[in-house]
Amino acid sequence: MASYILRRVLLMFPTLIGVTLVVFFVMAWTPGGIGASLISNEQGMRPAERKAMEAYYRKRYGLNDHYYVQYLRWLNSVSPIGFKTSGQGFPEAWRFGLKPPDLGEAFATHRRVSEMLKDAIPITLLLECLSLPLIYGIAISTGIAAARARGKLVDVGLGFTLIGLFSLPSIWIGVLMIGFLCNDSYVHLFPSNGLHDMRSDAMTFLPNLSGGHFTRGWMLDMAWHLCLPVICLSYSGFAFLSRLQRGALLESLGQDYVRTARAKGLAERVVVFRHAFRNSLMPLITVSANILPGLIGGSIIVETIFGIQGMGKLTIDAVNSRDREVLMAVTLIASILQLFGNLISDLTYAVADPRVSYVD
Amino acid sequence: MENRFGFKDMVLATLIIVLIVVVLLGMVQLDRQWKALQSIGNKSDDQTRLLASIERTLNEGITVSNGNGLNGSQPTTQGTTSRFPKGDPFADFKEAEAHPDFARGDWLIDNATAKVKNITYPIADDLYSQWIQARVTEGLIYRDPMTLEYRPQLATDWKVSDDGMVYTFKLRKGVLFSDGVPVTADDVVFSFEYLMNPKVNCPRLRAYLENIKSVEKKGEDQVVFTMAKPYFESLDLCGTLSIIPKHIFTKYSEEDVNNNPGLLIGTGPYRMANPTGWQPGQKIELFRNDLYWGRLPTFDRCIFLEVEEEAAQETMFGNGELDIFATQPSQYERLMKDPKTTQHANHFAYDSPMNGYQYIAWNEKLKGEPTLFTSAKVRRAMTMIIDRDRICKDVYLGYAKPTSGPFAMASPQADPKIKPWPFDINAAKALLAEEGFTSRDNSGVLKDATGRELRFKLTYPSGIATYERVVLFLKDSFAKAGVIMELDPADWPLLQKKLKERDFQAITLGWGGAIESDLYQEFDSSQMQDQGDDFMSYVNPKLDQVVEKARLTVDVKKRMDLWHQAHAILHEDQPYTFLFSRMSLRLMDKRIENVKPSRIGLNYVYVYSMPCPWYVPKTMQKYKSQ
Repeated sequence: MASYILRRVLLMFPTLIGVTLVVFFVMAWTPGGIGASLISNEQGMRPAERKAMEAYYRKRYGLNDHYYVQYLRWLNSVSPIGFKTSGQGFPEAWRFGLKPPDLGEAFATHRRVSEMLKDAIPITLLLECLSLPLIYGIAISTGIAAARARGKLVDVGLGFTLIGLFSLPSIWIGVLMIGFLCNDSYVHLFPSNGLHDMRSDAMTFLPNLSGGHFTRGWMLDMAWHLCLPVICLSYSGFAFLSRLQRGALLESLGQDYVRTARAKGLAERVVVFRHAFRNSLMPLITVSANILPGLIGGSIIVETIFGIQGMGKLTIDAVNSRDREVLMAVTLIASILQLFGNLISDLTYAVADPRVSYVD
Repeated sequence: MENRFGFKDMVLATLIIVLIVVVLLGMVQLDRQWKALQSIGNKSDDQTRLLASIERTLNEGITVSNGNGLNGSQPTTQGTTSRFPKGDPFADFKEAEAHPDFARGDWLIDNATAKVKNITYPIADDLYSQWIQARVTEGLIYRDPMTLEYRPQLATDWKVSDDGMVYTFKLRKGVLFSDGVPVTADDVVFSFEYLMNPKVNCPRLRAYLENIKSVEKKGEDQVVFTMAKPYFESLDLCGTLSIIPKHIFTKYSEEDVNNNPGLLIGTGPYRMANPTGWQPGQKIELFRNDLYWGRLPTFDRCIFLEVEEEAAQETMFGNGELDIFATQPSQYERLMKDPKTTQHANHFAYDSPMNGYQYIAWNEKLKGEPTLFTSAKVRRAMTMIIDRDRICKDVYLGYAKPTSGPFAMASPQADPKIKPWPFDINAAKALLAEEGFTSRDNSGVLKDATGRELRFKLTYPSGIATYERVVLFLKDSFAKAGVIMELDPADWPLLQKKLKERDFQAITLGWGGAIESDLYQEFDSSQMQDQGDDFMSYVNPKLDQVVEKARLTVDVKKRMDLWHQAHAILHEDQPYTFLFSRMSLRLMDKRIENVKPSRIGLNYVYVYSMPCPWYVPKTMQKYKSQ
């Protein structure tokens, strides 16, 4: 087992280099090239200003070098082992050794990429941590319900509804929700934008009722703001997982051991949940390898519509402006998580199914 | 397996319950501390306000106090004219204060239609960070939006040497940065020198200030700017330089400032709650600066939301969560007819020289070869083929106007006698026939003697709906005249590349405007080289001469005459087809009073930091600071 894990981890390095290499060169070879955002979108700039600005940034971010030099330099700066470059504080005498990995500075905002990630990741994590349990919970329970009532109205109805939800584009639903559920002209149930009320800074943390006047407090205010984005993030995810669960459970229910369990008079609840359900989890485990990267991947559409500054927004902005450092950092993190997600799901096979084993 | 609730489970359950109770009690306790802290904060705010009003009273040297320095309406001070030799900086504001329902208070909720990622002056220089910076930092003088004349701000008086090379400013006494430290001549010198430090990441501002040779302190209250060469905008350049506090910026290394997204402190009417540590994603909330040297601004807070989605913006404006809403023509027309919106909103459509103009640039040299657009007659014919009035009416619903040149029509730079070329296909065809392009067969396409069709590719920025509608309209217009126009959409980086390499036949884009535009950048023949903005390789020595002379002329009347000449030359030559200039469309919450048009838009101008003369009458006020 240990040697299997070690082998898999070592294999990750060439994979990571391959992924980042492809992303880097795709970005480099698009028209306009790396750092298109350095030339500001504003037209009013005088040529002298623009030239000075461009020259300064090209030098500051090393854009005059060959692409392969830029790539190697980036690789060196993100790797925990590497050569000393200016601006990295490791002991004077060492030219080569351990150093803190550095994700560099964003072109468009001139901030450290690590700090931008530190701002964006918790927000996306919060959204995903709320919507993922919702998705899995609803999908698994509807899947079980559908499998138990195979061919009946419940099964058909659930299938129809979930596929229907799946087919609704969230960009449209999001806008509709804002237009109808956050609008004084219709129903104003939810706030339309952001994660906090304008006045939330002055709020207490808990809701309180003082002098017959209710204030919702910081925590409740945030929960209220999160409702629509979380709904928007989750509703389309039910269908796929639910159908998967239904299919797997139906397969298990057709097995001999289930017939045996029924034959010996066990309650239907016990048959389904203790015998069949556990055995039907394999496909779900495979799919769940995507949870880990998805957790911080964020959603471009939902984040844009609801004005939330998370990872999805960060990524799309970086792509649009060909912001080398940000895009590479996001790629790196996403690929590491994806690789670890795959590894973990492979390992959980062994846990869930004794027939799978990684012993050499 | 037995599922009995045993002793161990009970202990565990008790522990969890105890934990939850303790956490809840902790939260309650924290909330109580929070409330106590807020009341302490409010008290200290009140004290600061009181101290500031005493300080102001002492500085002004007259009694203006009527017992309530902040909220009551202050009687206008006596003998103001003698103390303001260059005009009263608060003339508009005092006029607003004289309204019977004038009141201070309430918040102003504005929207930046993109996420603001950095507000540090001088690092961030995008549009929205400039809006925010302009509320917080101030220069020595500012330009009054009503008269376009310069008025004193942090300087009380200034002198220009006869050759226009030396500018001397006399500093105002008793001005404090929002942290309470007084402004000195050293801060002014530092503000210039800091920007010129190549380690500071502000290449654009640096290039802009290159014209200033030196800034020196003369005595305690005077600063002398010396220019490298005469230039008509020198006063603006020196006078509007934002003054930053030396004692704060010297605390950090240049690299710390470069990487800090939220370092913003100045002397302006508003301040950040935390002037050194704002982070993107946090609210952009400007508080009234109680230490401000002038008339206290009306709004307690200015808040910038960051809503990008247009539908969300409209909903929020409809709900009253947003006070100012910039709209597109179709949306504006629709909302103006909507009784719900008109009930709570005023609407404004106005021209501003800042809006600039749209154009088609005709490339006269492609890969070293002259193109068919090298001929001024062809270019003028192209202009006359386009029915610009129709575009303004159909695409912009009347909220745009055809222009005759690079200057705003109402600006003194434009010669009012010059009218846009009329829409006249026959005249255009006659001009093209002079250049050898006539209809030679039944195809309807104009051809020259060798059978070459008159066709070109129009490059335009892709993904912008209005551009696409204009471009399709152009294609039809040209087809009607027998000219084939092909579409060449390009995304922004590609477009930049094409401009740099001069690799296009015709391109349509827009220029932003200025109060006084300089034509050197776009039309001077020297700008053909080295990625300058004369990307269409237009040369006219006579224009070069006139523009050069205008730039060196400090006398306004003479300079305007020269600009008129330049306007006439460009009108004849048509290096661009000057298309139209768009109007700004704004919806504004009705509770805000005293919104008026000015010479550069509304009287709430984003580029200068004087307190805005808008206010909300006491009975209409919506937001209350605690």
